[in-house]
Amino acid sequence: MSSIAQYLLNGLMQGTIYGLVAIGFTIFFGVMNVIKFSHGDVLTFGAFGGLVAAWVATALGFPIWLELVFVIVAAVMASAVIGAVIAQGLVLPLKDAPPLNMLLMTMMVGTAIRECIRLFFPNGTNPQKFPELLPSGGFDLSGIYFRYDGLILIAAGIAFIFLVQWIINRTRLGLAIRAVAEDGETARTMGINFTLTVVIAFAIGSMTAGVAGALYGLYYSEINYGMGLILAIIGFSAAIVGGLGNIWGAIIGGYLFAGLQTAVVAFLPALSDYKNVIALIVVVALIAWRPTGLLAERGSERV
Amino acid sequence: MRDSKGYAWRIGVSVLALMAVANVDDAFAKEKVKIAFVGPLTGAISQHGIGGRNSAELAVKLKNADPATKYEYELVTLDDECKPNVAVQVVTKIASDNSIIAAIPHYCSAAAIATVDIFHRFKLPMVIWAAVLPEITYAKKVPEIHRVSGTLIGQNRVGAQFMKERGYKTFVSFADSTDYGKSMNKYFTEFTKENKNEILGSFAVPPDQQDVSAELTKIKELNPQVIYFGGLTPLGARVRTQMEKLGITAQLEGNSGIMGDAFISAVGPELAEGTLTFFDSPPLSKMPGGKFFSENYTKAGYTQAPEAYGPFAFAATNLVMEEIERVGPNRAKITEALGKIKDRQSIIGPITFDDYGQNITPLTTKYVVQDGKWTIWDESEYATGKRKLKNLP
Amino acid sequence: MTMISMKGTAGQIISSILVTVFLAGSLIAILEIEDQRELGICVAVIAVLSFIMPRLGILRSAEQAGAHHPWAVRSIILIGFFSVLLILRDNNFALLMIATILIYATVCLGITIQTGYAGLFNFAGAAFLGTGGYTAAMLGNVTWLPDAVTIILGGIIAAALGTLLILPVLRTRGHYAALTTLAFGVLFNGFLEANELLGGPQGLKVPGIQMFGWDFSNDLAIGSYTFSFYANYVLLIGAIFAVFMMFTRFVERSWIGIWLDAVRLDEIAASVFGLKVSVWKSFAFIAGNFLAGVMGAVYAKMTAFIAPANFTFGDSLLLVAIVLLGGIGNRWGVLIATMIVILLPEKLQFIQEYRLLLFSCVIIMLLMVRPAGLLARRVRVFEELR
Repeated sequence: MSSIAQYLLNGLMQGTIYGLVAIGFTIFFGVMNVIKFSHGDVLTFGAFGGLVAAWVATALGFPIWLELVFVIVAAVMASAVIGAVIAQGLVLPLKDAPPLNMLLMTMMVGTAIRECIRLFFPNGTNPQKFPELLPSGGFDLSGIYFRYDGLILIAAGIAFIFLVQWIINRTRLGLAIRAVAEDGETARTMGINFTLTVVIAFAIGSMTAGVAGALYGLYYSEINYGMGLILAIIGFSAAIVGGLGNIWGAIIGGYLFAGLQTAVVAFLPALSDYKNVIALIVVVALIAWRPTGLLAERGSERV
Repeated sequence: MRDSKGYAWRIGVSVLALMAVANVDDAFAKEKVKIAFVGPLTGAISQHGIGGRNSAELAVKLKNADPATKYEYELVTLDDECKPNVAVQVVTKIASDNSIIAAIPHYCSAAAIATVDIFHRFKLPMVIWAAVLPEITYAKKVPEIHRVSGTLIGQNRVGAQFMKERGYKTFVSFADSTDYGKSMNKYFTEFTKENKNEILGSFAVPPDQQDVSAELTKIKELNPQVIYFGGLTPLGARVRTQMEKLGITAQLEGNSGIMGDAFISAVGPELAEGTLTFFDSPPLSKMPGGKFFSENYTKAGYTQAPEAYGPFAFAATNLVMEEIERVGPNRAKITEALGKIKDRQSIIGPITFDDYGQNITPLTTKYVVQDGKWTIWDESEYATGKRKLKNLP
Repeated sequence: MTMISMKGTAGQIISSILVTVFLAGSLIAILEIEDQRELGICVAVIAVLSFIMPRLGILRSAEQAGAHHPWAVRSIILIGFFSVLLILRDNNFALLMIATILIYATVCLGITIQTGYAGLFNFAGAAFLGTGGYTAAMLGNVTWLPDAVTIILGGIIAAALGTLLILPVLRTRGHYAALTTLAFGVLFNGFLEANELLGGPQGLKVPGIQMFGWDFSNDLAIGSYTFSFYANYVLLIGAIFAVFMMFTRFVERSWIGIWLDAVRLDEIAASVFGLKVSVWKSFAFIAGNFLAGVMGAVYAKMTAFIAPANFTFGDSLLLVAIVLLGGIGNRWGVLIATMIVILLPEKLQFIQEYRLLLFSCVIIMLLMVRPAGLLARRVRVFEELR
């Protein structure tokens, strides 16, 4: 029983990370009808940005809590910047191209980012050790071992999700983003700066990747250049299952995927190697059943 | 139509002329001979691969600096990324290239076991510098296959007995799911049971799996005294780090795969402290040619350490070059010559190949991490009792 | 540049000969030259020549030859092919490369049918390639089954596996459809890695081909010439490639091709006209996967080894990118693109480390500047015969 609770905690952690990634995908799709597949590699970029920040902070002798803040801010900023650059330079110019082209291009951008990290970061091909900035150890409660760092990270992740959700739904900026997502042309006639709003939306979406990357590094104490790809695939699946364009859908999708993985590990331990396989099969089945996602996309196709 | 054909013709002829000019050989130099080195030069294991590559390069450099040699050697280095499929591609490339006379391949057993057939198919002789899986040499008698490093049988036999002497009784095995891990687990299980100790469970994961907390959670429930690790450094580092996060206090028993600086720098000296491993060679300082090797290695200016198997790569490359000097650059002759090696002196000691091409002289030494360095057990403070291993009964 | 008049049968035939000689010559040059400097010069020259050629109208003329005098062009190609084989007969590696190029080109033909003609996204091409390969591996030990059957079975099982995906593929549009094949490709890879029966991450050894009583691992001796054993595979694969090229040509130029184009361009309009959209989409999907499966089986047998790491999402992405690079919907473009993508990184050592980075940058630039690809697909001209 206690081990099941253990898996649950781990699953919550994973779900938070997946949810953050999925939110990014959903924002990009909602705003520009674009699946920015480089999102996973933007996450990796952010994580490496955080790593560099950690090295700088250690060299400058920052106290641990300051280093922690520095790392997270660096990760977020790094991802935001690269996300915005991709939006401005590559996505906006191609916005009227067929979806395959855009999809392929963002996949290639992701590959390019991954390869740059692999080739140009010192020892890029090796996994990098991420510093231990959170209190290690934990406490035992009725046989379940609660890691301090796990709890802190889950709390931080959920807090950020709510932050993004609040920005999108309760601020003027969020209103502008939603307006552009609903109907770009009309938003323009209403005086909203289309390009700026899109770039900002992409930056916010990429920030979620930065946070996810930092959380990942702090939790596993290790990052490597290829970590973004599988996270992108899972995040994409989660966003689609939840319904593209819907933030709550993305969050639900993320926890659902993690929940599926956890369920396999906890209840079918003999098949635990297949947890991703089973989760993806469920995703494909869900898509076949509900082709536009669980929380269906608003709007319909005009014939 | 005439125009375009003439145009193309002219360009074609000038290109050919250029090529002809560029190919004028210097007829007075020594005959060039190509040998190939294969190892994991990129990826998580690259520290070991690069150490081996540097050592092989050093051997070639020193040989070429010797004016008395008949041939000039060129080392072609290839990256197998520690993956069987890449190894197959890369070895097919060198084996099908008839200008490459011999090869010094593989750190990773998973890669080596996949390429054995290719060496045989193209009749390319080779001397393995690190892979320890027994089946590579012992599954079939293949004349092209030789190995200077030991097999993992010896280290597991010594290891199991050592743990028994320390008083440990309960174990859990955590290996990777490649043939390497499976073989490690097989011999670990065999010898541990021989020593009448108990194995509470066995786990296997793919070598690049990031999150091992699920498996470690189950291990925590089983509560063994010792966790035996049968895999390579990246996975080992992950296991050790995540063990700590889950509050598992078992003693870590390693294998030759975690021998080297890479493991200690990956987990940090604090977490590495007290880890045990068993390795088929004394440390560099105690090898017959150890001093010679480390002096020349530093003089050559390499920034990365030779790592655990660097000296073996050096010895293997030298062996190959010595044979080429004796019988000439011919694949069939080298294969025959390598098969006859007995008591050949080298920096790692005398090399003797048995009928299967396996070097039968390596001795297993016990190591423990002390203050961020691998130290011989008998010379450590653990042996004297000043420091204690974990979970001692 | 002078526009040379290439009309008329003679002009067309000569253009096809020129193009074939150019291609064959470039291939031999790139494969044979070892010295990196020479190779660099050679590649630059080829690039310049291939830039000049379309301007001279030679390419257009050769295409017309292909359209109007297919058997003449086929004979020219055949002669070119055998000459290349003869010249490269004892270069093991070169023949292996040629075989690999032809295999990938055939798989990309399949993707062309799926994406180029029917407009389906397939990001799981490598998974179907792998299915064929693993079928060959598993059936390799069943000695009474002739290899020809094994290879065809590889294709059939891949096609069958594809039918599992038909329902989600048909019901989804756009990005959701992309996810379906993507997720499938990833889970297929995950399955192979986890499954012990299929060898797991270590992979499996696959026996070579023995067909028509001839063991393909023996060197081929014809007259006074000895060909490396890879020549056997090149001949077999070349034959399969030729068959599938003709099949693709048939599909494109027939009413099936027109219907597929209609489905791709406007699904709703097509269904309004009475086209059974699902039937034709399924046809394209299954046909493409069959091709992939067959080539997967042959590839596994040729390299004698198969491992899950060969069939990742990255490999599927590579296939789609090759199709795009060559010009979506253009079968000859597929061959050229495959040659470039597979051959250059292997031979040009100095770009080997950076090949993936360079490749992704090239594709990005292509998508921004010239999304039609190298050899754009010609718009159908229904009055061509005038």
